[in-house]
Amino acid sequence: MKTKFYKNTMIKASLSLIAILPLMGGCDNFTETGLTPTQLDTNAVFENSSTATAALTDVYARIREASLLSGKNSGTGYRLGLYADELTWYGSTAIQTAFYNNSVLPSTAGLDVMWNNTYSQIYATNAVIVGVAASQTLQESDKQQLIGEALFIRALEHFYLNQLWGEVPYITTTDYRINRIASRVSQAEFNQKLIDDLEQAAQLLPDAYIDIDRVRPNSFAARALLARVYLYAQRWAEAANEASAVLNQTELYVWDTDLSQVFLKDNATTILQLKPRNEGLNTDEASSFYFNSTPTVVSLRLDLIAAFETGDLRLSNWTRKVTNNNGTWYHAYKYKERTNTGSSVEYSKILRLAEQYLIRAEARARQGELIGALEDLNVIRNTAGLGNCLAVSQEEVIQAILKERRVELFTEYGHRFMDLKRYNQLDAALETVKPGWDATNRLLPIAESELSLNPNLKPQNPGY
Amino acid sequence: MKNLSFNKGRPTCLCIFIFAVLLSNHSNATGLTFRTYTKQLQHQITGTVTDVTGPLPSVTVIVKGTTTSAVTDEKGNFSITANSTDVLIFSFLGYATQEIMVGNQTSIIVILAEDSTQLKEVTINAGYYSVNDKERTGSIARITSKDIETQPVNNVLATMQGRMAGVEITQNTGIAGGGFEIQIRGRNSIRSDGNAPLFIIDGVPYSSEAIGFSGTMSVLNTFTSPLNNLNPGDIQSIEVLKDADATSIYGSRGANGVVLVTTKKGKAGQTTVNVNFSSGVAQVAHFMDLLNTKQYLTVRAEAFQNDGITEYPEGAYDINGTWDPNRYTDWQKKLLGNSAQITNLSAGIQGGSEYTQFLLSSNFNHETTVFPGDYGYKKANVRTSISHQSKDKHFHLDFSGGYTVQHNNQPLADPTLEAITTPPNAPEMYDAQGNINWENNTFENNPARNFLGSSQSQTYDLIANIQLSYKVSQDITLKTSLGYTDLKHHEASVYPYTIYLPNYGLGAESSAIYYNDVARRSWIIEPQLNWKNLWGRLQTDLLGGATFQRQDNEQIAMSALGFAHNSLMNNPAAATYLTVSGNDEFIYKYQALFGRLNLQLDNRYIVNLTGRRDGSSRFGPSNRFAWFGAIGAAWIFSSEDWFVKQDVLSLGKLRASYGITGNDQIGNYQYLDSYGTSGNNYQGIPGLQPSRLYNPDFGWETNKKLEFALETGFLQDKIQFTAGWYRNHSSNQLVGVPMPGTTGFPSLQANLDATVENKGIELTLQTTNIQTKDFSWTTDFNFTSVKNKLLSFPGLENSTYSNQYVIGQPLNIIKLFHYTGLDSQSGIYTFEDINGDGSINSPSDKHVLLNLNPKFYGGVQNQFRYKNWQLDFLLQFVKQDNIDPRKIIGVPGEMGNRSTQILDHWSVPGDSGAVQLYTTGVNSDVESAFFNYAASDAVITDASYIRLKNLQLSYNLPAKWIGNTKCRLYLQGQNLLTFTSFKGPDPEFRAVGTLPPLRILTIGTQISF
Repeated sequence: MKTKFYKNTMIKASLSLIAILPLMGGCDNFTETGLTPTQLDTNAVFENSSTATAALTDVYARIREASLLSGKNSGTGYRLGLYADELTWYGSTAIQTAFYNNSVLPSTAGLDVMWNNTYSQIYATNAVIVGVAASQTLQESDKQQLIGEALFIRALEHFYLNQLWGEVPYITTTDYRINRIASRVSQAEFNQKLIDDLEQAAQLLPDAYIDIDRVRPNSFAARALLARVYLYAQRWAEAANEASAVLNQTELYVWDTDLSQVFLKDNATTILQLKPRNEGLNTDEASSFYFNSTPTVVSLRLDLIAAFETGDLRLSNWTRKVTNNNGTWYHAYKYKERTNTGSSVEYSKILRLAEQYLIRAEARARQGELIGALEDLNVIRNTAGLGNCLAVSQEEVIQAILKERRVELFTEYGHRFMDLKRYNQLDAALETVKPGWDATNRLLPIAESELSLNPNLKPQNPGY
Repeated sequence: MKNLSFNKGRPTCLCIFIFAVLLSNHSNATGLTFRTYTKQLQHQITGTVTDVTGPLPSVTVIVKGTTTSAVTDEKGNFSITANSTDVLIFSFLGYATQEIMVGNQTSIIVILAEDSTQLKEVTINAGYYSVNDKERTGSIARITSKDIETQPVNNVLATMQGRMAGVEITQNTGIAGGGFEIQIRGRNSIRSDGNAPLFIIDGVPYSSEAIGFSGTMSVLNTFTSPLNNLNPGDIQSIEVLKDADATSIYGSRGANGVVLVTTKKGKAGQTTVNVNFSSGVAQVAHFMDLLNTKQYLTVRAEAFQNDGITEYPEGAYDINGTWDPNRYTDWQKKLLGNSAQITNLSAGIQGGSEYTQFLLSSNFNHETTVFPGDYGYKKANVRTSISHQSKDKHFHLDFSGGYTVQHNNQPLADPTLEAITTPPNAPEMYDAQGNINWENNTFENNPARNFLGSSQSQTYDLIANIQLSYKVSQDITLKTSLGYTDLKHHEASVYPYTIYLPNYGLGAESSAIYYNDVARRSWIIEPQLNWKNLWGRLQTDLLGGATFQRQDNEQIAMSALGFAHNSLMNNPAAATYLTVSGNDEFIYKYQALFGRLNLQLDNRYIVNLTGRRDGSSRFGPSNRFAWFGAIGAAWIFSSEDWFVKQDVLSLGKLRASYGITGNDQIGNYQYLDSYGTSGNNYQGIPGLQPSRLYNPDFGWETNKKLEFALETGFLQDKIQFTAGWYRNHSSNQLVGVPMPGTTGFPSLQANLDATVENKGIELTLQTTNIQTKDFSWTTDFNFTSVKNKLLSFPGLENSTYSNQYVIGQPLNIIKLFHYTGLDSQSGIYTFEDINGDGSINSPSDKHVLLNLNPKFYGGVQNQFRYKNWQLDFLLQFVKQDNIDPRKIIGVPGEMGNRSTQILDHWSVPGDSGAVQLYTTGVNSDVESAFFNYAASDAVITDASYIRLKNLQLSYNLPAKWIGNTKCRLYLQGQNLLTFTSFKGPDPEFRAVGTLPPLRILTIGTQISF
């Protein structure tokens, strides 16, 4: 009886197991999930031009929102303005205070963000280059356009990294195994990489803009940046040539003598600008620098105001004077629209024609072509309502150009800081007006976290 | 009186009985035959059950060897049919079971005696199965409603703090609705966010992954945790599974331990209504000592003098005369000094018959804040539990379901930081009209601006499950568990333009709201088969089952910017710009086969084998499946024949276990090469961006656990002592390997060939010190010492972790500079220049290690009962080091208040103060020395503490006053007293500017009838 009992039990157990087993086995593919609507396979992105374009143009959006070229207070226009002698600081935000006091440290919170965001955008351009090159379905013209733009952005971002941190890695691949141990690149090699990328971009990009807004680069945008790169590399002849290549496009780029028009979105001196995030919105710069009755965060330094010659129309057109009982201040007013204007009026200018005149003027002056140099310089001066430059010697002309750049390009992506550095005049210009200035401040420190994650970046920049 | 505290154990008691009856059936073949002869002698027996104090309701009376049973009523009376040869068994949790031969009696009076040894008969929930505590092979810690109900808290993790060995819980913020961190047996994963245990509520896995989003609900210093949805009052017991034996059956999700939450169920017997109301206050227990106006302005003046600045700059409003130099505000008191009001009301009804039991309960909880203004957290929930079994008791159904609604309304940001740093002579927050006072555009950081905006959240959560079981035969049970969870969460941060200085000239076109909406659903099906058998002296218990689980998650974050007027702000449709800043959808699928074989020989040699084969959609096709398993064994040596019968040692047991568990907490789709939407748009084209660095070949993280333990009971278990030693090795670390910025991403998902060891000792001691009719005193003690160590890390030197971890050291370390004192000439801090390069650099000069793990921790709980009075209190202790927050607030001399600790400072050459010379921020040598100091061993301080964590005093109104109604009055407190040498707001310190855990005091009444 007992045996029977166990036998019954065994049968029931086996039957139950058999009933359950199909549930258990046979459906290993239950754990397949595939992609959700929020994830798009990388290969699929580069199968058609609209998604490939979205992958590229996202980088412009990120440049606008959070990059060294952003018009917000995280961009170079603001921070290098504080760092050099363009802006006075009233606020308390730690990182801005550190820039203003020239006391940026490897541990300063937010310093890593500037670096990481830029390299992250560079990764995105490299991903576009890899993806587009591998695509079997994209048309050749689309491929050239996308790769050309990606190369341009890659060079642009690297240029600013170089200005802030000196000899840094030049990233041209998406392979983390290479990028995680990337080493610093010598200045000469860095310049060559910038030049190679921009040359290739200029080759790939069409002469005409792909859009009417000039919010994506054409070949001349690449040449304009190339002119700057040559100038910084002290290759004067090439700098002058590239600037001429742009300036000669008189159909495309028309000099405007009305200063109030320069920062409007349809102005023909624009070489490249950023589209605001929504139609009707304008630039971030407009609100970054603005104040009403007393300065609360930043104002223009009074020594910058003093640098404007009497009668300089730029002072009245591009700055705004604010007076109350306690004093008088100025704020940058190149961009005026802070609110929604229904249809957008102003876009942030990444590259504009005036800089090309100044580049060619300096390149010529450095080569001793003083007449040509003054000719270019006077285009700028005359537009500002000033007489011709009276400089005579080569050195005088060169210095006059620096002075002109200060009042023409103020609060635009740190030109002042970069010019002083290029001219080797940082210490002379800043020691007296910036109590915290130190000669080694010419380079920012590399963030502590970055240095510890990639020891190949050692040594730290001098002085930190 | 005793009934109340033991009532909750009744279902457990019932379970034991059913269990016992089942087991006894096999060996009782002769009994069966005997019973048939005597059937004709059956008659009705009535009786009363009491204890020394009076009638005992709800005592189970069962005819031995049958399923015939009865339950005593509120007067202790019962009635049952039995025959004269039957034996009646009277049992009630906490009392010694009595067996009485029926004989010729028709009326029986039974007096049950309290029995502490019976606590060992407690059944422990081990998830897929239950074990008798005595026969347990695994390491499981447990608290029950008895421990939970003494605490005036609204988070389930809070109730566990200090009460469980091996379970470390830290409170993230004192703001209601904030989260807690839990770590079971130390940190296993190198990833800081991969250390959460698996939470299972009534058999349904409940995702503890945060439901917040950066930028919304920023007032809490971490993302909103879904665990707030549980109402502690609904919980019957919480079991924490710790070792391999207990966790391996959870396979890939068991590495960090498993927390099993079991909710209350209805009990058979008279229908009772239970109402509980309490209310009280919560306050910040301790403020920091900060500078007063005179001290502050002296510091500032000296800083300007040191910097050689004679004319105070325009922006230095605190000292240049713009602000009143004679004003003083205690900002801590002003911003954090209010009393938060706590109200808790719950009501429930329960009852049922032998075959069907039910419970319905609801709870409402409201907690305001210590901040000025009308803020608060509200939680309401309803819960139902129904159990039913067929008349032959073959079919069994258990349903439980709960629905919780939470509303939280808090300021835009936690004002704690500004309570510390706002200059003491800063102007009034509000003007005479009650409007925010910007003091002519000079008071930009007016703390009141955060009260103009707000952080809001609403959470709706449903958890339901059904367990169906069918007894195919006496030995075989088929069971299926079905569960469903549905969570909806909405949170918003409101930034009206009025929070900015009027000077900016902004209007409603700059007002913004950031939204985050989360929907999370999951279901689970777990068919199981259980086969128990007795093969002679060998008792076997075999369990096999499968799991199918799916979780769907949708999250959308939006920003709405620009309104015609602030009154339209709550309507996103009225926004000029509505941007989707994040949209995430994922599906998580999980499938497993699991099994357990338990072998018991002679009730003293026990072997427990568990295993699981897991598949998870979080891994690429090549690594999707894996095996996990464990072996556990126990030897109850006190049951050995050779063990001399004596009175001292009542239980002696050795147990050991070894096994492998895993961890899959890495997020979804990480193995795919894909693009996602970026939330940006350019030229009207929504952007696409690469989702991550591509690596398809990562697999499970494995955790090998070893444990040995001794469990003993002395003097009839009046003293119970357990000691456990464990060692866990976590390897094949699944890591978001931190990447330098040059790779374009902060991390890469990969397996890292590193091993982390957690080794520890856990001791528990429960004693019944005094036990008389009127007075009793019991003590529970738990102690944990954990050592966390990075054992191996091939290639650490050249890896991205080279500066973060050190082999042989815990994971939770910070590398610090070595402070070598103040240079009495320059007045600047000096540090050891390890590499001798003439400057202090990180990381090369950081060689001092600060271990942030506690060295040991634990708790001592005491319960005193005298007649109708009862006093419970818990002392929690932690031995640890931490950073002294006073020293890292900010550069002394810059604008912003500081700790009085900075007063002892250097001012002239030759001085030897503790703090270096003041600077306004322009002296970059001093500034950088400060930041080095804040990252040096000079800021390490002893943050050990002993805390009166919980106290309850309660009084049961005597029956002679109120008859059958029961009424208990109680006073409860949390975080009442802290003994520590730590000088910050609270030694449970996370970051400067986070509201510390509050001191809570409530009074309440509980009535049941």
